[in-house]
Amino acid sequence: MISFKDVNKTYPGGFLALKQVNFTLDAGEMAFLTGHSGAGKSTLLKLISMMEKPSSGSILVNGTELAKIKYKQIPYVRRGIGMIFQNHNLLKDRTVFDNVALPLIIEGVSHKEIKKRVETALDKVHLSAKLKCFPHMLSGGEQQRVGIARAIVNKPPILLADEPTGNLDPKLSLDIIRLFEEFNAAGVTVLIATHDLGLIARMRYRTLTLKEGTMINDGIIEGLSADGITPSGTSTQGAMGE
Amino acid sequence: MSNFHSSQLSQRDSLLRRLLTLPIRHLQQAVGSLGDLWRTPFTSVMTVFVLGISLALPATLHLFVKNAQQVSEQWDSASQITLFLKLSVNDKTAQNLVKRLKLYPEVSDVHYISAKQALKEFKILSGFGQSLEYLANNPLPATILVTPTKRASQADAANELLAKLKQEREVEQGKLDLEWLTRLEAMAQLIKNIVSGVALLLCVSVILIVGNTIRLAILSQQDAIAIMKLVGATDSFIQRPFLYSGIWYGIFGGLLSWLAVSLLAQYLTGAISKLADLYQSDFQLQGLAFSEALMLIAFAVLLGLVGSYISVRKHIRVIEPNAD
Repeated sequence: MISFKDVNKTYPGGFLALKQVNFTLDAGEMAFLTGHSGAGKSTLLKLISMMEKPSSGSILVNGTELAKIKYKQIPYVRRGIGMIFQNHNLLKDRTVFDNVALPLIIEGVSHKEIKKRVETALDKVHLSAKLKCFPHMLSGGEQQRVGIARAIVNKPPILLADEPTGNLDPKLSLDIIRLFEEFNAAGVTVLIATHDLGLIARMRYRTLTLKEGTMINDGIIEGLSADGITPSGTSTQGAMGE
Repeated sequence: MSNFHSSQLSQRDSLLRRLLTLPIRHLQQAVGSLGDLWRTPFTSVMTVFVLGISLALPATLHLFVKNAQQVSEQWDSASQITLFLKLSVNDKTAQNLVKRLKLYPEVSDVHYISAKQALKEFKILSGFGQSLEYLANNPLPATILVTPTKRASQADAANELLAKLKQEREVEQGKLDLEWLTRLEAMAQLIKNIVSGVALLLCVSVILIVGNTIRLAILSQQDAIAIMKLVGATDSFIQRPFLYSGIWYGIFGGLLSWLAVSLLAQYLTGAISKLADLYQSDFQLQGLAFSEALMLIAFAVLLGLVGSYISVRKHIRVIEPNAD
């Protein structure tokens, strides 16, 4: 479960990235987070993953109040959150297997169990044949799927994805979203940040829309066609509050 | 994906199992850090050489002090107390005194020189042989040379023994030349202090060298560290391979310094034996004992660990993950 209550985030220099953001994402729920560049999507994800601290307000993740946790507790809270990034964030000098195994090694899981779980996770993303490859030997889509396998391998209750389909073609994007749906069906809370309104339109999930740091919409966005253009002909900007 | 999350807690390894795998993980990280050093051979070899040479210098100085002590101990045991007996003391009384002196626990050896023998030696050594023939009486007293035990040879103990011996009624005067002994001791102490000072400076430099090498390694892996933090790695998990690197540097640096000191000792043995022969001494250069070599390596490991610990504590915490 993720809950934001009156959350504000001001960066040094005075830039107000989030203003009075309130929402709750229940356990096992799946939602999109959208908005233009600079709207605050990444800041919101960074707050959940504790890369940033809120300036004020309360953030609850898996029952933990993030504003109150100590530095030493952060890694343990992060283990309950699977994170997927647009730039994949893979270790370049390690194989696919080692990259996916990383969260399990960190948790101290036995070698036998690691092997089993990594193979299962790579099977889920259809990369079983690539476990000995290094990231530079993979396509962008494959790298993204390695990132997903790493995010789910330790079975976290929450999955956060920041533009997971940003560099992928529509078919691959849909495949990846289907994968998230599969995890969600198994009870994982999924929050996907994207500005791909076409994708949002096709999936019809709850969507949190940010504009200049303010939450302007929380719910299923109606009236979007599959390509992100409303039937009346208004552009996606309308759905984003412009 | 069925039951993907529902049995999440039950599927997690038990605490006991994790504790059991802890040594294995440490071993893996230790071997992994050795692999990291292997992958950067130039930096690793340079660092090990700098450490080895830095440690070889104080180790050599230690060897010097150790051998100097060995020499000075020989001198100490050779120090003697000279007792000049009263002129009225005859040979029989003197011999009795010699017997009494031999019973002193602080006395190792007693050598009696009669007045007659003393005059004879004086005639030969002084060059006044002819002139001394004209003396009506022998002006020289009988003398007893007392060699203290090793323990009683130290300056304070030797002084105490001298005071005791002077109490003997046959003794007119007692002499102990302590000045050279005090000078020798002062010199040995000075050398020890210099060695300690130099060793301290070199230890600090070893810590700084290891710390800087580890700092560079951390900076080169900044991105990887950030990713590890993102997926839930604790600082101690991230620090461990770097700490092991410090230990490896210590082990190899210590071994190298031991090798360097041993080779140096080997190289000097011939020349020192030759010099000792010239002084009719059986002195032999002592190298580092096995226990000393182990201590040197252990000390090098400690320094490597301290250097790397300071570095990881300072640099790893400030690396923060960034999703951009």
